[in-house]
Amino acid sequence: MDNLQLLLILIVALPGAAFLGLALVWLLGWTPPERVVARITATTSIVTTAAAAALAAAMVSRGTLSVRAPLGHWFTAGEYDFVLSLLVDRLSLPMVVLTTALIGIVGAFSVRYLHRERGYFRFFLLLHLFTFGSLLAFTAGSFDLLIGGWELVGITSVLLIAFFDDRREPVRNALRVFATYRIADLGLLIGVFAMHYLAETAAYQGLFTGEWPSQGTEASTSAATIIGLLLLVAAAGKSAQMPFSGWLPRAMEGPTPSSAIFYGAISVHAGAYILLRAEPLFRASPAAAAAVVATGAATAILATLTHRVVSDAKTSLAYASMTQLGIIFVEIGLGFPMLALAHMSGHTVVRTLQFLRAPSMLHDYHRMHAAAGGHLGRTGEHYHGIIPPGVRLWLYRAGLERGFYDALVDRFATAPVLHLSRWLASLESSSHDSAAHPAPAAAPVTALARKVEG
Amino acid sequence: MGSWFTLVTHWNLPMSDHSSIEHILAHLAHLLPAQGPIGVFVHHNTLHAFQHLPFEQAVCQAAKLYGAEPYMRQEAFRRAMDSGRIRAEDIDAVLAAEPQSDLLPGVLTRRDLRRAMLRPGARDFRPETIAWEIGEAGLTSAFRTDLPPKSRAALAKESPRALFDLCLRHTPVPEPAEAKAARPRDGVLAATGIDTDDAVHPLLIRLAGAFLDQGLAYWPMPERENGFWKASLDVLGQPFSLEPHELDRLPEVLAAVRGLDASAAIPAMLETLGVPEAEWEHVLEAELLALPGWAGMMHRLEVEPELAPHEDVPASLMDFVAVRLLLTGGAVATQMGDTVSWRAIPIRSHAPEAIRLARAARYFDAAQLCGLSASTLSASKPAQLRVLFDAIDEFDDWERRRLLHLAYERRHERQILLPILEHARREPLPVPKRLAAQVFFCIDEREESTRRHLEEIDPEIETYGAAGFFGVAMNYHGLDDAHAVALCPVVVKPQHEIKERPMEGHHAHYERRRALRKYWSNLTHHWWVASRTLVRGWIGTTVLGLFTIFPLAARVLSPRRYARFIAWLNSSVLPEPRTELAFMRTDAAGHAAAEGLLLGFSIPEKVDRVASVLGPAGLRKGMARLVVVLGHGSTSLNNPHESAHDCGACGGRRGGPNGRIFAAMANHPEVRKGLRARDIVIPDDTWFVGGYHDTCNDDIDLYDLDEVPATHRPDLARVRASLDKARARDGHERARRFEAADYGLSDEGGLHHVQERSEHLAEPRPEYGHCTNAVCIVGRRSSTRGLFLDRRSFLVSYDAAQDPTNDALARVLGAVIPVCGGISLEYYFSFVDNEGYGCGTKLPHNVTGLIGVMNGAESDLRTGLPWQMVEIHEPVRILFVLETTPDRALSTIHANPQLWEFLNNRWIRLAVSDPQTGAMHAYRGGEPGNARWEAIEGGDEPLFDAPTSRDWYAGRREHLPIARIGAAPAMAKQ
Repeated sequence: MDNLQLLLILIVALPGAAFLGLALVWLLGWTPPERVVARITATTSIVTTAAAAALAAAMVSRGTLSVRAPLGHWFTAGEYDFVLSLLVDRLSLPMVVLTTALIGIVGAFSVRYLHRERGYFRFFLLLHLFTFGSLLAFTAGSFDLLIGGWELVGITSVLLIAFFDDRREPVRNALRVFATYRIADLGLLIGVFAMHYLAETAAYQGLFTGEWPSQGTEASTSAATIIGLLLLVAAAGKSAQMPFSGWLPRAMEGPTPSSAIFYGAISVHAGAYILLRAEPLFRASPAAAAAVVATGAATAILATLTHRVVSDAKTSLAYASMTQLGIIFVEIGLGFPMLALAHMSGHTVVRTLQFLRAPSMLHDYHRMHAAAGGHLGRTGEHYHGIIPPGVRLWLYRAGLERGFYDALVDRFATAPVLHLSRWLASLESSSHDSAAHPAPAAAPVTALARKVEG
Repeated sequence: MGSWFTLVTHWNLPMSDHSSIEHILAHLAHLLPAQGPIGVFVHHNTLHAFQHLPFEQAVCQAAKLYGAEPYMRQEAFRRAMDSGRIRAEDIDAVLAAEPQSDLLPGVLTRRDLRRAMLRPGARDFRPETIAWEIGEAGLTSAFRTDLPPKSRAALAKESPRALFDLCLRHTPVPEPAEAKAARPRDGVLAATGIDTDDAVHPLLIRLAGAFLDQGLAYWPMPERENGFWKASLDVLGQPFSLEPHELDRLPEVLAAVRGLDASAAIPAMLETLGVPEAEWEHVLEAELLALPGWAGMMHRLEVEPELAPHEDVPASLMDFVAVRLLLTGGAVATQMGDTVSWRAIPIRSHAPEAIRLARAARYFDAAQLCGLSASTLSASKPAQLRVLFDAIDEFDDWERRRLLHLAYERRHERQILLPILEHARREPLPVPKRLAAQVFFCIDEREESTRRHLEEIDPEIETYGAAGFFGVAMNYHGLDDAHAVALCPVVVKPQHEIKERPMEGHHAHYERRRALRKYWSNLTHHWWVASRTLVRGWIGTTVLGLFTIFPLAARVLSPRRYARFIAWLNSSVLPEPRTELAFMRTDAAGHAAAEGLLLGFSIPEKVDRVASVLGPAGLRKGMARLVVVLGHGSTSLNNPHESAHDCGACGGRRGGPNGRIFAAMANHPEVRKGLRARDIVIPDDTWFVGGYHDTCNDDIDLYDLDEVPATHRPDLARVRASLDKARARDGHERARRFEAADYGLSDEGGLHHVQERSEHLAEPRPEYGHCTNAVCIVGRRSSTRGLFLDRRSFLVSYDAAQDPTNDALARVLGAVIPVCGGISLEYYFSFVDNEGYGCGTKLPHNVTGLIGVMNGAESDLRTGLPWQMVEIHEPVRILFVLETTPDRALSTIHANPQLWEFLNNRWIRLAVSDPQTGAMHAYRGGEPGNARWEAIEGGDEPLFDAPTSRDWYAGRREHLPIARIGAAPAMAKQ
């Protein structure tokens, strides 16, 4: 193995090792104090960021287009050989550099921000797991391995939304995000099955030929369409695109830095990443590409409409993110991968800073207002001339209801499922005689009282 | 569907309905949080609405109403007892003031019972968990392991099970209790398990947020100038929209009230919901308290629209209630099929058996604590046992915590009063002949350390404390401000406007500065919008996005350097014109400026203002060559609660301009002439300098230094050097409280630590603010000089010897009791119940509408103080120590009804220290004439000695007792 391969493995493994180490001592009954956690986090961040920078520098200066690090074989069954490998090419390299650098910065931010908080240790434990998961997802050499990282990103995201688990809303919203992720991730899972079935591999090397971004594919149009659409479902879930977009504002329950790194930066862009990764499939299938464009465009319009109406800092940023993610999807669907990558990178950084500064919005606005001499230019006025008042009011309502998104999902997805499960439950319980059971809460106490008095 | 629908078609309501709704809402509005938009944070008593009641009664009533805590939790008190913060003698002293009786003659008195229930302390048992306690945790199979030795001995051979059985035998079975639903949501919840608030609140919060928004949303709410009710109806009544699933039937309800005013819609909706008029108030109260933050903000902006920072919005509580009831009606109709049947649904409480077991367990627990076994108890008659058990019932959790709270405060009182008494009895510190300088600070307890360090560094400097607006109530329009703001306590309406303007010859500079700032503002505003919208965002984030990595990394990784870089950039780009204050007015009445305010002060007005500060402080003659007057404020980033750290006496704003204008007035020859006529003689060689102290980064700026006469330059240099050292030491002392600061920091290191806090984006504790405040001392500096008061005492300069009429005392107390009392009580309540009265942890806070913070994306507007601001507080009522006689203090307070309410209802504590003898008396109730005063004596709290402040606090983070800092050796060194 050469140095670059070792460097690549180090970048991915180090956050994983930090997580494992912390988790292990914690399971053994010792919760490391803040200073220890902070030091471990800082060291991990500095080393991975430096390693990522070194890797990038080496690749650029040597003109290396990609580095592959084989991790061995998971299993071989007859003809079938399941290879695990890491890959960094011109698509994953910027993602890796951004991920390590931004998580480093957000980690430094969190060391202070979460000081003395009850869940301090838990937060950093999850942050390391998330770092490992996202780096694994971005450097996986196949969609099989990507799933592992992808799911780690999902579960840490959910657990951090529910960070303040002593209140009801965070837990409830986390559960809703979790359910959305589960449904969307089916797309990835079935997509990978489809890859194995249709192309006999889910490794990028087998699926695509050449180096990103000038890859090709030998998959048939129909295979590309099926796999492409399934990947779109997964990508839409992670990147908060239609029809899954409603989870993003609910994810704002967690501490500010986790909102920044997940929903401003890394996690929401993971969906766009797999589309970019599977980009040859979309070139091979106009139908799938059209679906990507349609999803992105619809989301961008819905999100920008909602953003205009929203009056709180974090939700406003969430919809601003969603808008740009929609455009990134459109760019990918239209076949501009480099543009999409540049857009993603810029957007990631801007949004991280904006989320971290969200509590400052009051301060910033007042300063801006004072510097303008008390008269800031009014926003949204140029639409007044174009849109008739009645439509404006309707659009406002639509924005206020987040594009009627929740209403649609509750009515046409949640409610039928609930009805079905209640009906099934009633089938089950009608076979018992429910009247024989007294009210459950009172029963043990009455029995107990009898026992005690008896 | 039709049944309720027909009810709501025609109303010809008599006028009385409207006015009675108005009346009800006016009454209920008092129960809502009084906090205004968060940009200007004014501390006030959280339970202001209950101030007409005695404190101990009010906290319990409020706790019931809001579902909050009246005192600290029992565990906190237990920790206080374990650490010695509450001592056995405190509990005895508190119990001695309570009624005494025999419970089991010859065996147990009420006092014994209560003592045992306080320490080691009774446990509380709840119906929810009692089955587990008995069945799984083995409650009845063993006695407690932490019993007092005597009780343990008495129970040594007894059976716990027999004792529990006896207790249970004497516990009556309670009647099954069924309550009526307080509001529709409760009934629906009991019937269906579905919480209608989950449907109503998200929409209501979005509507209210959009309506009150001050500029955060890109589109302001359409038609909001017509009020919340009309605008909401317009938005909600849009055709072709899809209601949230749980509000399916909202359109039907809405159609029925569409043409009505809010004042007619409320009775209509109440009738639709089947609420009889007699219960209106009850139901409306429950509805309002379900989302009190938003309701409170609507009310606040209705009463004081000028509090809205940028946009005028016609807020109205009536409108808010109407919308709330409308949505509630929609949600109830959707779940129940009609809007009235919720009333018939009973709300069940716990099973009677569980209630009974829990009660018996409490008797069982208390009996153990007192060493009463089954055999002892069975010797008593049932009636006697009933007396005992009633006494146990009576001494419930809240009642126990009330006594523990009193004990906690008693110890605090002694920790403060005894050392001060001792200090007064010791040899007074030597006084220099003529002082090098006098420095006025705000009375703020955070200035106590700066004052102490300043006097430690240069013993020839004396410091004074006066309310930080320094008598100058004004509307101030600074050079860089968008408009004028009031710099004075909130209860005062300023009559004068002061403008800062460029000096002669500096206009060109000023114009350039203004143009550059405007340019900058346009640029940032464009970027602000551009990074968030569709098309501009596309271009913006793609092209410029990556460059934000530089500010992002710099701000997070090296905030101090970044701040210095920005400051350097500002100073090298923005010209700094020299400015002056337009504060002269030649004729007394004329020149009424815009908004009916007088532009500037006339000479007699200036004389009044200067005299109002110097007089009460006892500074009538012999001033030093230099007098510095420092206002204060606080700067921090990423902190929506920033204003809560600013000067309370300036209405939650920064008081630099007040110091500056005060100095300018006192330097004016005509003003000095006028003062002489009032017996205040400012020597000709005295010069006043105004300034500003930032309590977060400990910067001190002095103003108009180029006007200081050449003769005073050396004096100025000396004072500046001392101030510089003092602020570094102050930073160092403040850093001791922060766990993140190492103990080994140098002065400079401490200063850097606090400066970084002020500039750090990630810092939820830029400073601890008023946290730990507990005392307000009104008296001469000589009686507190040299004392280490741990930044916990407001210090007000007042000299009783120069105030024979008590007029100055009345003026001083009129300002400081409400201000300091309000601060202390806000901290008290935000600490004892941080979720209920405070706003919880800052970490998930989300700025909404530029008026407040929510938790996450959709929650109530959170009012009160965040946990990070109060976490090291000690919840005691503020203790006022007045340096005067008991009679003079009490008659002065009694003469002012507002102050008397504070004192008589015990929202504050009071003690007086005799100016001549130092004798200390604590007020224990009663009106002037028959007031009860307790002489404070004893050796249980010594006065410690330490050579320097630093020696005293080094290596310690906790609250420190008062110490006398060895000024004498320090003097010798100089």
